[in-house]
Parts: sequence; C-alpha cells; structure tokens
Amino acid sequence: MSLKDKYAIVGIGYTPQGRLPGRTSLGFHLEACANAIADAGLKKDDIDGLICYRAFPGTADEGMVTPYLVAQRLGIAPTYMSQDANCSRSHIQHAIGALEAGFCNTVVISYGHNAASSDSMTRMLMEMHPDDAAFGNFGAAAGYALAARRAMHEFVTGPETWKHIAVGQRKWANLNPAAQMHSRPMSFENYRNSRPLIDPFTLFDACLTTDGGRAVVITSAQRARDLKHHPAYIMGIGQHNPSVEPSRSTFMAGPTGAKKASQAALRMADISLSDIDACEIYDCFTYTVEITLQDYGFFGPGEGKDWFQDGTIEPGGRMPVNTSGGLLSEAYFMGLTPLSEAAMQLMGRCERRQLGPTTGTKSPEIIIASDNGGILQTHTCTVLRR
Amino acid sequence: MEPRPLPNINSDNREFWSACREHRLQFQKCEACGHVRAPGSHLCHLCHARAAQWITSSGKGKVYSFVVYRVAFHPAFAAELPYVVAAVELEEGPHLLTNIVGCRPEDVTCEMAVEVAWKDVSNEVTLPLFRPA
Repeated sequence: MSLKDKYAIVGIGYTPQGRLPGRTSLGFHLEACANAIADAGLKKDDIDGLICYRAFPGTADEGMVTPYLVAQRLGIAPTYMSQDANCSRSHIQHAIGALEAGFCNTVVISYGHNAASSDSMTRMLMEMHPDDAAFGNFGAAAGYALAARRAMHEFVTGPETWKHIAVGQRKWANLNPAAQMHSRPMSFENYRNSRPLIDPFTLFDACLTTDGGRAVVITSAQRARDLKHHPAYIMGIGQHNPSVEPSRSTFMAGPTGAKKASQAALRMADISLSDIDACEIYDCFTYTVEITLQDYGFFGPGEGKDWFQDGTIEPGGRMPVNTSGGLLSEAYFMGLTPLSEAAMQLMGRCERRQLGPTTGTKSPEIIIASDNGGILQTHTCTVLRR
Repeated sequence: MEPRPLPNINSDNREFWSACREHRLQFQKCEACGHVRAPGSHLCHLCHARAAQWITSSGKGKVYSFVVYRVAFHPAFAAELPYVVAAVELEEGPHLLTNIVGCRPEDVTCEMAVEVAWKDVSNEVTLPLFRPA
C-alpha cells in the first residue's frame, strides 16, 4: 500500500538561535523537542519514537549528546530510538518506517548544537577526512568547492549564478525576525566583495553556524486530524546515496543523489515537478541549491544562470526557494531547517514571509524539501502538501 | 609550529604508503576484472573479487578538479597559503586527493596534465603531490 499522505508533520519546535554562548547542545535538543511536542498539542507521554540528528564530538564541558540523554531528560522511554553516527540523513525514512511497522505511533526528530560558540562543529569537520589532512584538506567546504569547480568546467556556472541564491535567500531572511541574518541585507556587490574562503567559494557561499535546535513531530494522518494544527502531509519521500567521496568521484558535476531521490519522491507523491509551488533546499553552500534544483529537473545543466535571473527564488518570485533564509541566512539545523520551513509554510504560520498574497507568490499547496549529507554523498527528498 | 597531520596507515593502505616512501605510486589491480583501484581495499568494488596485484603507476594524469585554499583551516598550512588541493585522475584510472605544486594557483585548470612530485615529510611518510607535466 502506498505511503502517500499516510503520515504528517504535526508540530515544530524552535529555540532561540544564533550565537548564544553558555548553553549546552543537550539543552537545545530538549528545548526544541519540548516546544515541538507542545506545538503539536501533545503530551510528552504521547511520544514513543525519538530520532536524533547526527552525533557531534563532545566539548571540554559537555560529552556527546546521545538519544539516551535526550530521552532521559525529556522524561520519555520511547519504543523506537535512533541517531546517526554520521550524516546519512535517513531520519524521515526511519520515522515513517517505524510508524508504518507499528514500532511507535508518534515520533520526534531532533537537532541541537552549540555549534557557534563551541569547538564541536569544527572538531567534527576537522576529523571528517583524516586521510586528506596530510594534503591540507579539511572539512566540507573544499569538497563542495571541488564539485562546484568541476561543474564550472562541465557547464556554465559560478559566482554569477550563485549570487542570485545568496542574495535571494537573504531577502527571505529579512522577512524572518528569527533569522541570524535578519536586518543584514546583501547586495550583489556585497556578495562580490565577500571574504575569500576556498576558491571558487567565498564566505557568502557558505552556510552559517548556529547555536540552537529544531525538532518536528511526525505521526499518522489519522492521528493528525485530532491535533492542534492543520498538518503538513508527507506525500512522497525518496533517498539516494551515491556515497562516493569527492576525492574519488568521477561524476562530481552530477547527477548527484538528488536526481534519483526526487524521482522516487515524486513517484510516491504521484505528481510532477510542475505541481511544486516552492522549494526548501538543503543549502550548505550556494552551489548545493543550484545542483539540487538542476538534478530535480527544474532546469538543464548550466541553465541555472538564466533560471535564477530576475528574482525567481525571492519574495514575489515564480519559484520561492528557502523562504526562511535557509542554512545560508536563517540558521543551520541540517535538514530540519528546510523541512520545518516547508511544514510551517504549508500550515500558513510564516507571518511576514508567508507564501501567498503576503509575499506576492502563489499560495502553496505542495512544497519539496531536501536534505543532503557528506559531500553530496547522500540525498533525501521529501514532498509535503497542505 | 604544529606539525602537518599524517595519513592513517593501516592494513588496507600500507603497501601504497610503503611504495610512496620509495617514490613509486602503486595501485591495486583486480585479478578478476582488471579494475585498478585506490585507495587500497579488501575487495574490488566492481566485482567483489579479493585477489589483487599491486601495479606501479606512470605517475601521469590530469587535474579532474581543484580548489584554492585562501584560509588556513589548520596552523600547519598557514605558511602555504594560498595552496591548491586537487583531485587528480591518473592514467591508470584512479583519482587521488593531492596538492598541485610547481605553478601558481591561478595557472591550474581542470584537465591540465600533471605528473607526480614527491614530498618526503617524515621517515615513514612521503606524499604524492603533482606538478604540471
């Protein structure tokens, strides 16, 4: 039987976000989870599934955050629990798989990290590719930059395309008071003058680091009907894991996992790309947005340069993308930044940045959201509807 | 000064790093299907055959992709800025993550012909870097 529309996001939990020194990662997980549970109109005892985003290295004053700790401090004893050691971004598949199998009835997916004010994110990134460190290669930026450079060789792309992504998302962030880059407008000139990082990327091509957390509650459509908000139904999900690291990849310019993942998600949803009203795309780097939309089929290789022109993805544009500001300009909670924004938009709870008449865009019926881990090694695509 | 990090040498890649110390670039060639692979691995990812022989590479290849570090992520590399990290495609097929040396970063291009240039960094480790051919 099809999983289409069988499960839904019913609650979203936010925390303060930005640079908030003095708080633990565990505390952000707990605040996000408790807020998500309350937002759904549920009690903690209703939660019998807990899925945490990846484990990060502990810091001088805090050990690794485990799902045991999150469950213990939330005061729940789930019948299903998991956490990624790495970044395969299967959280929504785990949630729906466990719900469908009957292992649990209501799942919280949680992220919490004091990444901006501790060395935990840096330590994770520095340990990411130990065999490359001897060559001075560290973290994720260079891997994505390698992919982007190869793409520049194979088709027309580069900063002239990416500026529309950075600037467009910043416009959305300026409609979102919670965004880290709210009240900090960005012009094309600002983008051009951004600080060097790793060519071909500059600082404004890269996502933020954030202290904070985010959580979503997922349950069956049947249970969702009795809860507080109109749910965001999960129409389709798909995942693909090319898995090859960039130093070994012979297909660095794509297609990435986004292609097969989106095909599977659209097939389950039984819709086509033309039914999509907005996109919430995992945007660790500007180029990630371009290659994801390209692999989804919104435009052909190199056609992004024209597709992004004239404010396509901005408020008032014909295909809004990353309407919270995204990882580039709102906050970094991995796939929960795009996924939670997709659900909030479909619930109609986005205030000044709400898609529809408020922002001069189409009122959204269907939104596509992505999550992407490693260096374009894993991709999850989720289609949500009102 | 903080020393340059060194590769993790283990049973999968010891042959590779031992050969590097003697300035020979070696890859495993699958005895069943002939696929040449790097890094060293327990089996061939194409056919799953275990048997492999180590072959010596010509050390010639081309730049598949590259980036230029403008910021030091590790203090050992601060003095090297700006430096080039590249994926090089060897004639035998495998890709290696490496540095391009012997030219200015702005002169590096995708598909540029390169050859191996050895850098001895410790008694145990010699790194295969690449320079314009």
